[in-house]
Amino acid sequence: MNSRKGVNEMADNKNKIDDEDIIICRCEEVSKKEILETIADGARDLKGIRIRRRAGMGLCQGRSCEVLVRKIISEQLGTNPKELLPSTKRPPVRPIELRLFRGNDNGFKQ
Amino acid sequence: MALNNNLDAIVVGGGVIGASCAYFLAKAGLKVGLFEKGDIASGASGACEGGITAHDHQPGYDANLTIISNKMYKELLKELDWDIEYSEKGSISVIETEDELKFTLDRMKQQLACGLPVRFVDQDELYQQEPLLAPGFLGAIECPSNALCMPIQVAIALVRKARSLGAEIHTFEEVNDVKLDKKGKISGIVTAEGEVSSPILVNCCGAWAPFLGKMVSLDIPIKPRRGQIVVVEQAAQVGHRKIGEAHYIVGKFHPELAEGTDSDILKYGISFAFEPTASGNMLLGSSREFAGYDTRTTLPVIRAIIQRAIHFIPSLKYLHCIRTYAGLRPYTPDHLSIVSQVDEVPGFYIAAGAEGDGIGIAPITGLLMSQIILGQKTTIDINPLRWSRFSGGY
Repeated sequence: MNSRKGVNEMADNKNKIDDEDIIICRCEEVSKKEILETIADGARDLKGIRIRRRAGMGLCQGRSCEVLVRKIISEQLGTNPKELLPSTKRPPVRPIELRLFRGNDNGFKQ
Repeated sequence: MALNNNLDAIVVGGGVIGASCAYFLAKAGLKVGLFEKGDIASGASGACEGGITAHDHQPGYDANLTIISNKMYKELLKELDWDIEYSEKGSISVIETEDELKFTLDRMKQQLACGLPVRFVDQDELYQQEPLLAPGFLGAIECPSNALCMPIQVAIALVRKARSLGAEIHTFEEVNDVKLDKKGKISGIVTAEGEVSSPILVNCCGAWAPFLGKMVSLDIPIKPRRGQIVVVEQAAQVGHRKIGEAHYIVGKFHPELAEGTDSDILKYGISFAFEPTASGNMLLGSSREFAGYDTRTTLPVIRAIIQRAIHFIPSLKYLHCIRTYAGLRPYTPDHLSIVSQVDEVPGFYIAAGAEGDGIGIAPITGLLMSQIILGQKTTIDINPLRWSRFSGGY
């Protein structure tokens, strides 16, 4: 099976995260406790947590932590993780060197 | 959430302007309700840069709004229990051509006469200060009192403080209609949760202010002007304060001098803007386009911003772009915001239209709005910001 499913299974079933000091967003070093605080402050979705505590704002843009953050929000708000709106997606898909933007339109047409 | 039907004032909009109005009104003792269709800072305040800059405004009134706001930020730092990532490192605008040099030096005389602490930085000093700039620039104008902050955190901090002063914060609650009494005065609003009554309504909806205006038959001439931003990875910062180009100021006030430059630069309103952030990232801007309410970023504009940035700081080219975003700045035809009562609809107030200066003038805007509502003497003349300049009044 692909690794993506593995991550989901881990988040959904095996590791119930109960240590609040655990780092959820590694890029920006945001702990579960800090994410819980943002929800208490009014965050209701991935964007709300990102703007308050930077979870998902780092180099990987939420690629690593989004599944876990989604799960925490759903647990706290009593909602289905699948109903939660995805975070706003903006280019680039992966970090890209700025010098690569110097060419012409070939291969870059949106 | 149970709705309080005894509000003294309703603020619509949870960006830096709405947050500031809610804070100053709550601080003045009013029972305030802030209503926001999304989350705090989900519009332009969450998709901008954090420059509090005075030297790129017209010397005099326009620049003074920012200067007063910057002083207010320093006071707010003591009152707000939240880090707004404020730093007063100053900023420079780099001069590339003889035309820009002449224009900048002429303008400096006016700025100094108005009390703005600007200073000319010659070529030698410029390269001592910013060794990573590309060679060949003529100098720069420096404004040491310019500052940086994180607009999202400013909005959150002000909202938190307003809440602790008794304000109700209703996020994810859109205003669907505005209610008037028989005399045509504001009497409340309608949201999905029900009706809320209040004799005062402050429109702080930024680029969306015209929609709330339409609910009371006002035609507010604010248009969304899109600004796109490039986020650079956390790395050794290639500049330690805000760096812009004198061309921006020339282009803003003397567009005829900007003619003959690269067409994409004119077409998309491109101007080099570099900002280091407290988190270690770097932001690159800027652009100005009328593109309706589309907040997506576009490759031609992003490419033009990056090319312009590399033109000034070549070592940027080996760093990575991790994200792009765009915000809708509330544009007004005369480039000044509206901070005013509306005589046609008693109880309706507008605090919107600062285009890219919202973060720079948020504190003074909130203070002025509370002074206008309470009938107090205002800190600065409010005549240039009056609504009636657009409604055919005096």
